[in-house]
Amino acid sequence: MTGVEVHLGLPTVGPAPDGGARPQSYRVEVGDGYALQVLDLGLACCAVEFVSAVAAFPDVLRPEDDDVHADSARSRVAVMVVSGTVTDKMAPAVRRAYDRLPEPRLVVSFGSCASSGGPYWDSYCVTKGIDQVVPVDLYVPGCPPRPEALVQALRALDGCAPR
Amino acid sequence: MTVPGEWAVAVRAAYDGPPAVAATVHDDGFGLLAVDVPAERWLDAVRLAHDGLGLVFFDWLSAVDELDGGFRLVCHVAAHAPGAVRHLLLRTLLARERPAVDSVAEVFAGAAWHERETHEMFGVDFLRDGEALDLAPLLLPDSFEGHPLRKDFVLASRVAKPWPGAKEPGESAASSRRRPRAPGVPDPGEWGP
Amino acid sequence: MTVSERSALPARSRGVIALVEENCTSCMLCARECPAWCIYIDSHQETVPAGPAGGRDRTRNVLDRFAIDWSLCMYCSICVEVCPFEALSWSPELAPAEPDIRDLLHERDRLGSWAPSVPPPDALDERAPAPKELAAAEKVAARQRRSAQR
Repeated sequence: MTGVEVHLGLPTVGPAPDGGARPQSYRVEVGDGYALQVLDLGLACCAVEFVSAVAAFPDVLRPEDDDVHADSARSRVAVMVVSGTVTDKMAPAVRRAYDRLPEPRLVVSFGSCASSGGPYWDSYCVTKGIDQVVPVDLYVPGCPPRPEALVQALRALDGCAPR
Repeated sequence: MTVPGEWAVAVRAAYDGPPAVAATVHDDGFGLLAVDVPAERWLDAVRLAHDGLGLVFFDWLSAVDELDGGFRLVCHVAAHAPGAVRHLLLRTLLARERPAVDSVAEVFAGAAWHERETHEMFGVDFLRDGEALDLAPLLLPDSFEGHPLRKDFVLASRVAKPWPGAKEPGESAASSRRRPRAPGVPDPGEWGP
Repeated sequence: MTVSERSALPARSRGVIALVEENCTSCMLCARECPAWCIYIDSHQETVPAGPAGGRDRTRNVLDRFAIDWSLCMYCSICVEVCPFEALSWSPELAPAEPDIRDLLHERDRLGSWAPSVPPPDALDERAPAPKELAAAEKVAARQRRSAQR
């Protein structure tokens, strides 16, 4: 390949021109006029499986482009899926994300790292399970769990009482 | 893997000439030359690699805990050219009690992050003009005590949780007699401060 | 979710580990090799008295407890590979998500319940020699046929 000049410009620091990114949520219908608003706190490899689930099951996990409160006819439950290893430095951020979820809200611990520290249970800086910082409603086993496991777990959530 | 002959000659020539850094050049057989310098000549040796040998790509800087030997600071620098990457490992040995060495951030700006990480993981001080830089923690939480990548740092989880493999076949409770230790976990008597 | 509902899985998919208790001798190799320390085994020794034909008493290990903690497991397959008696095998079934993390610790009954879903091993290459188990079984069958004829 011969040299091609590409001018990328230097990165700048400041507010994003379009107001910044909004968290992408996915709507999951679980029956009885009940919808889950699923947000992924993607930290590591499990986030790739979450994205794969979105791609493989578009009829289950529907990307939401409209505003959070636009659809008021149905009851919605916010679900935070923590996918990936949580280090002790990151744990306060996970807590802050949970505190900002509108109620009613549920937390899904996706994968071994989020459930117990997983393969990094013996590390000096890994939080051994997000249940140390946030209340967890469902633990999904796997390293990483298959996309089908995420769909199965989200369907199992309608048995959990939201808080 | 062998180091290309021309490159080995060039490295040796550069480090034999001025400035005197008392370097010894090793070929450990991994296709990578290693240059060992005394700690007080560290900055000069790195600057020589950058200016004299044209190794302007800074890859990484870290340390190895060599127990009684001290801490070996290692830096990998390279020069990219199509079809011919030239690279070098620069090494120096630091005393265990108060490991300190000059910061090379003035030669390679990117080394600042690596030095910050090495400082919090190994407790190595990096000096500018003889003064230790006040390096903020990068990866560890603020309340963390100790330097985790030192070999005498105890992994508390592996000490606290009993190893399921400690039992012998045909045993339900680990007996008090000498039982096998988990791989990678030193004897409690020899591990710890 | 049934297997039919799922997308087609590749061969040797790692879903959950099934335990064939009859094969386990409590040798502790899987518990020792597990990097996540998530296999818990308890066993005791029993004496098998010598038969009427003489000989000596033998001891054998009896498995009391075999548990795997799925919240820690990293699905590395080391336990399945190291077991000398093929007591552990991969099943493509998924261990279900649980609201209580303690339910992710599966005891041996639950681990044994996955065994029927373990797929048969892949067929050998057609040019490979026959497996030794087949040759040994055929030898035994031939010997039995000969002794039945006498």
